[in-house]
Amino acid sequence: MDIDILKSYIPLYKDALILTMKIGWQGILLSLVLGLAGAAILHFRIPVLKVITGIYIEIFRNTPLLVQLFFIYFALPKVGIKITAETCGVLGLGMLGGAYMIETIRSGLESIPVIQTESALSLGMTKEQTFIHVILPQAISMSVPGLLANVIFLLKETSVFSTISLMDLMFTAKDLIGMYAKTIECLFLLVVFYLIMLLPVSILGAFVERRMRYGQFGD
Amino acid sequence: MANLGIDVLFKGTNFFRLLQGLWVSVEISLVSVAISIVFGLLVGVLMTLNKLWLKAILKIYLEVVRIMPQMVLLFIVYFGTTRIFGWDITAEASAIFVFSFWGIAEMGDLVRGSIKSIPKIQFESAYALGMDKKQTYFYIILPQTIRRLIPLSINLITRMIKTTSLVMMIGIVEVLKVAQQIIEANRKVSPNAAFGVFAVVFLLYFIVCWPISRLAIYLEKRWA
Amino acid sequence: MRNKLFNRLTSGLLITALTATTLTACGSNNDTAAASDKTTTETSAKADASGFRTLDEIKESGTINIGVFSDKSPFGYVDENGDYAGYDVYLAERLGEDLGVKINYVSTEAANRIEYLQTGKVDIILANFTVTEERAEEVDFALPYMNVALGVVSPSDAVIESLDDIGADDQVIVISGTTAETYLTKNYPDIKLQKYDAYAEAKTAFENGNGVAWANDNTEVIAFAIENEGYTVGIPSLGDNDTIAPAVTKGNETLLTWLNDELKALGSEQFFHADYEATLIDTYGAEYEDTLVVEQ
Repeated sequence: MDIDILKSYIPLYKDALILTMKIGWQGILLSLVLGLAGAAILHFRIPVLKVITGIYIEIFRNTPLLVQLFFIYFALPKVGIKITAETCGVLGLGMLGGAYMIETIRSGLESIPVIQTESALSLGMTKEQTFIHVILPQAISMSVPGLLANVIFLLKETSVFSTISLMDLMFTAKDLIGMYAKTIECLFLLVVFYLIMLLPVSILGAFVERRMRYGQFGD
Repeated sequence: MANLGIDVLFKGTNFFRLLQGLWVSVEISLVSVAISIVFGLLVGVLMTLNKLWLKAILKIYLEVVRIMPQMVLLFIVYFGTTRIFGWDITAEASAIFVFSFWGIAEMGDLVRGSIKSIPKIQFESAYALGMDKKQTYFYIILPQTIRRLIPLSINLITRMIKTTSLVMMIGIVEVLKVAQQIIEANRKVSPNAAFGVFAVVFLLYFIVCWPISRLAIYLEKRWA
Repeated sequence: MRNKLFNRLTSGLLITALTATTLTACGSNNDTAAASDKTTTETSAKADASGFRTLDEIKESGTINIGVFSDKSPFGYVDENGDYAGYDVYLAERLGEDLGVKINYVSTEAANRIEYLQTGKVDIILANFTVTEERAEEVDFALPYMNVALGVVSPSDAVIESLDDIGADDQVIVISGTTAETYLTKNYPDIKLQKYDAYAEAKTAFENGNGVAWANDNTEVIAFAIENEGYTVGIPSLGDNDTIAPAVTKGNETLLTWLNDELKALGSEQFFHADYEATLIDTYGAEYEDTLVVEQ
């Protein structure tokens, strides 16, 4: 391995990391919003919206992100819907993530014993108050490990962004290999930068999981 | 809106080629899942053993799979190994290797979880009946584990099929690449083919994955 | 529980360390392998790390692996019956015939071409591969069979006739791993590039209006402007006049010599004019025939 080559490539990887993180986290934010909304819809069994949410989950969980991106970015403009690559990346990741976040948050909601709702209601809280102040905070803390696993999954999924011309980490590596054929250096930096991006999240996951166990009552 | 390019699919053998491309993805997934189940069981059992060095190795293995995108692994295996060790691995073999590498870790972790979830009394009763450790695993623990695992491994199949769309990047002509080829060959006569063809690819993936994931949910509910 | 956190930290560090050592080890491995390449005799060529196959080995196996584009009409693409076709493929077919072996086509992307040769995944690249100095350090080029320069195509209502017309926020579409990319990166570092993996993607994105222009081989952009209404090649020739040639793995002397002899033999029968007339004339008409075709 050539250290000089590594050094000259690092700024490019840094840019790619910043772009990957930017799009990744925007997408994750969107997926959390969708996840909360969807989980609430399913939890309260809101008619019509419930069905739409169900269809949305099935579609996005049963098709690859790559195909979703292809469709949004290349096919939709043919019928007049045009969006930039970055928006497409955020949207694609957010929509995919949303479908997974809904399931995670919902199972968190379902894990809260009914007695909690009953107690809150008997204390005179309204249904909304009960959900927002009693159920949701507990449900979210229950689903944090699952949510973090989704975050890692989504940040990894950014590796398909090259198809829509976003210079993420994977594309930077492929592009440099194509131009200068320094495969080993490029793959090495690729591994290192993915570690920089994902290892902290993974460690956080372990940490939270540990805290969670102390946070629980009973068993 | 008149021409969305669906018609190009009915030219020549285009639609058949698209299905062939899809089969390539499904085939790679099925082979990988089969390998993952067999070795995943082994790895899962190993994970429950109390050996520090073994735990450390498996931990690293799990973490690699967890952190590295499959596409990175594909590139490392397909191009990297030839550079490093001079191995010549075909694209298909690299794909199966990477997907199995990923699947074994996932399965292993699931197996570990399932074994842990089997009440301790099952082990104790088996020992009390005079069974040894091997017998206990084979006749008591694994059969129960496998039942819990079937829905989860079916789920893994759909995840793999979805991920196989990446193999296009290492030169395997699967459904997306065929789609691109069709769009390219017909750009002149059907400039909107991108819409029709990608819509059909989208649909094809859904048609394959959706029933499989429904089956997984059904089995999960039934056998839980 | 403490252990878990600790484990993750250490395993992370270990992964880095492991990859680092393997990769460094391989780096040096590769060098020694390359060095010993020259000393080993051809009979033991199979064992070397660069992994190319000699002419005899290819003949013996009965199949040759040729890397071509599968989405770059009219040079290398797949027709509606699933058969490879185009200017490059026409040559490939002939090579296979004269070698007396079957052809296994490998679909490549621009950025993978060097990699495919260096890892011995293909024997020959016939994917519109422009000869450049940088590439010649990585692979061995045979004699050329086509002329090429760079060109820039843009929509007819906003034609770009000079690279200076390109605004600070405008994006130019290029394909990753092509000479256009290298040229613009080196000579016009301020131009924003929008890069794609595959030809099909780049063209669709260009049609969808995602960039102000598309820079590529001029052969390709001219073909695009002819085949698609509403596009004009504002810059027909940019950079150096280059050539396109078959490429083999560095050091594969036997195959290279055979290829060069074959190209000369084909030249004497005006093979590439026939190739042009079979594959390119529908796109370019007769007028480009003598500027594009190179006979040895």
